[in-house]
Amino acid sequence: MRSLRRYLVTVLIALFTLISFLAALQSYRQSAGRAEALFDQDLQVLASSLAQQYGASPQQELGLALQVWQNNQLVYRSPLAPETPMTETTGFTEQNFAGKRWRVFHQTPAALLTVIVAQPLQQRQQLADEVITASIYPVVLSLPLQALLIWLVVSKALSPIKRFSAQLASKKANDLTPVKLEQVPAELDQMLKTTNLLFARLADAFEREKRFASDVAHELRTPLSVLQVNLHNASQQWQQSGIADPQDSMLALQAGVERMSALIEQIMLLNRTNPEHFQARTEQLDLAGLCRQVVAEWYPQIEKKQQQIELLGLEHLSLKGDAFALRLLVSNLVGNASKYTQSGGVIQLELMTQAGKALLVVQDNGPGIAPQEYSRVFDRFYRVGGDRHQSGTLGSGLGLAIVRDIVNLHQGQVSLDASDYSSGLKVTVELPL
Amino acid sequence: MLINTVLMFLRELLPLFLLLATLLAWHSNQWRRFTLLLTLPAILMLALFSSNMLWISEQLDGFGLELLYSLLYAGCFVLLCMAAAKGVVALPFSALACACLLSINGSNLLLYIWLPGQGNADPSALLLGMALGVGIGSSIAVLWYYLLTELKQLHILSYRLLLSLLGVRQIMMASALLIQSDWLPAGPQLWQTEQWLPEQSELGFFLQALLGYEATPVLSQGVAYLGGLVLLLWCSRNLKNNRRSAQ
Repeated sequence: MRSLRRYLVTVLIALFTLISFLAALQSYRQSAGRAEALFDQDLQVLASSLAQQYGASPQQELGLALQVWQNNQLVYRSPLAPETPMTETTGFTEQNFAGKRWRVFHQTPAALLTVIVAQPLQQRQQLADEVITASIYPVVLSLPLQALLIWLVVSKALSPIKRFSAQLASKKANDLTPVKLEQVPAELDQMLKTTNLLFARLADAFEREKRFASDVAHELRTPLSVLQVNLHNASQQWQQSGIADPQDSMLALQAGVERMSALIEQIMLLNRTNPEHFQARTEQLDLAGLCRQVVAEWYPQIEKKQQQIELLGLEHLSLKGDAFALRLLVSNLVGNASKYTQSGGVIQLELMTQAGKALLVVQDNGPGIAPQEYSRVFDRFYRVGGDRHQSGTLGSGLGLAIVRDIVNLHQGQVSLDASDYSSGLKVTVELPL
Repeated sequence: MLINTVLMFLRELLPLFLLLATLLAWHSNQWRRFTLLLTLPAILMLALFSSNMLWISEQLDGFGLELLYSLLYAGCFVLLCMAAAKGVVALPFSALACACLLSINGSNLLLYIWLPGQGNADPSALLLGMALGVGIGSSIAVLWYYLLTELKQLHILSYRLLLSLLGVRQIMMASALLIQSDWLPAGPQLWQTEQWLPEQSELGFFLQALLGYEATPVLSQGVAYLGGLVLLLWCSRNLKNNRRSAQ
C-alpha cells in the first residue's frame, strides 16, 4: 500500500527536475554553439581586415565598416565605410550612414592615428536574438511534454479513486456487499474501510428490520389464535349459562381479535413480498389457471354475499413469475373486490395479452374510490377516509401495498381506474410475459 | 567544464542509481535493512580504494585499477545471480552487489572532484554540473523505481528481464576493462553503430547504464553478454516466489 501524496510528490518532482535539467543542458549546448559561431566570426573579421590591410581582397563580405585615419587623411576604408569619418566621438556610439543605423567604435591608439569600426545594429540584434532564442527554445518546447507527463502521472495516481467511485456507481440499490479494490493507496484506505463498514451496518439493519416485523407478527399470531379459541369457548359458555350480553361486548371483542389476526397475516405477507427481501423463484405458470383457483377459494364468501363473479378472456396465459406471489396478488384483488362490493354485486376478471405483456383486469360495481385517492391507496396502512372509513369492512390497508410490491417484483405495472360498470373500481395489472 | 562535469556525473551515477532503484523495487518492504547493509561495505570499499588509488593503478604492470574494477563488476554480477537464485540471502547479496558498483563509480567521482587540475576550474561550474548530473540521474532513478514497482506487480517477467539486463551490463563493463588490459582476447568486431547512436549521446549514456551498450562490441563481449543474460534469467526464475514469501 503506497501513499498517493508520496507518489505524486516524488514522481512530479522527478519529472520536473529531469525535464528542466535536460532542457537547461540543451539550452547550454545550443547557446554555446551560437557563441562559438560568433567567436569564429570575430576570427574571420580579424583575418579579413588583416588581409585587406596587406592589399589582398577579402574572401567574403562580413558586414563591417572599417576606417583608418592618419594625420586626418583616410588611409584605409572597407567597402561599406563612407569616405567621411563615421564618427568624431571616442568610444561606442550609434550613427546613421549608408541608409542604416550602425554601432560605431572610435579609438585613437596612437597620436594622429584613428581607427573606426562599425557594425549594423540590425545585424547585432539578429545575432543576440539567435543566442537568446537558442537558449529559450528547449525550455519552451519542454512545456507540452511536461504537461502531458503530469496528466499521465496524475491520472495514474488517481486511478484507484476512479475505480472506487466506478464500483460505487455500478452498485444496485440492494447490493450491500463490500467494495473490493486492489492496490489501495493509504489515503483511500480509511475511506474504503469506512464505506464497507457502513455497507455492513446497513445490511445488518435491513436484516434486523426484516426479521423484526416477521418475528413480531409470528410471535403475535400464536397468542391471538389462543385468544380467538378462548373467546369462542367463552361465548358458547355464556350462551349455555344464559348470561346476557346486552351491549354485544363479546361480539365486538371477537371482531377486534379477528381484525388483528388479519392485520398480522397481512404484515407477514407484506414482509414476504417486499422486493428488498423477497427472493422470487420464477417459473413458467398459467395465470388463467391461477385465477380460477383463487376464484374457487373465494367462492364461499362471494356466494355468501350473493355476488356474481366471471372470468373472461384467455383460458390459458403462460408467463414467468413467482407462483406464491402471483396467487397472493390475485387473491388480494378478488378479496378486495368482494369485500367492498355490496351484496348482489358483480365482479369481473379478464385476462388478455397486449404489446408483449399479460393484462389482468379486475373490476366490480361496488362504491369505487375517488380518483384523487388512487395514488394513496397503495401506501401501507392507508384506508380511504382514514379513521372515518365508511365501508365497515374488516381491513388493514395493506392489500394494495402488497399488490404493488408483487407487481414491482415482476417488473410490471399496476393502475387504477373507474370501472366499466356505472360505479366501481377497475384494477389493471400489466406483467411481462 | 559544466558539460564535462554533467556528463561525468551522469556516466558514473546513472548505472548506480538504476541498479539501486531496481533493487529497492525488489526489496521495497525491507528498504531500511537494504540501506543499512549497503552503506557499511560501500563506505569501507570507497575509503579503501580512494585512498590507495595511485598505488592500485601502479600494480600489475599499470593495469591494477582496471583489473580491480573488472573484478568488482564481475563480483556485482555474481552477487546479483546469487541473490536472484537464493531467496533467503537475496537482501544481503543485493546490497553487496550495489556496494561493489558504488565503490567503482564513487571512486571515479571522488577522483574527478579532487583532481589536481580542478583547482583552477570555476567552482560554480563544477557545483552546477554536479547538481545537474545528480538531479538528472536521481530523477531517472525515481521514475525507474515506480516503473519497476508496477512491472513487478503486473508483469514479473519484464522485471526479471530488466534486472538481468542491468546485471549483465556489469559483465559488459568487466569484459571491456579486461580487453583493454589485454587479459581477455577481443576477437572480431561484431558491429559499428557509432554513427547512429553515439555512446556519448544522452540515449547512449542511458543505454550504456541500463544494458551496457557499446557502439563497437567485439566477439568475446558478445559471448559474455549472452551467456550472462541467460544465466541471470535462469537464476531469477523463482523471483516471483521470493517476492511472495517476502510479503
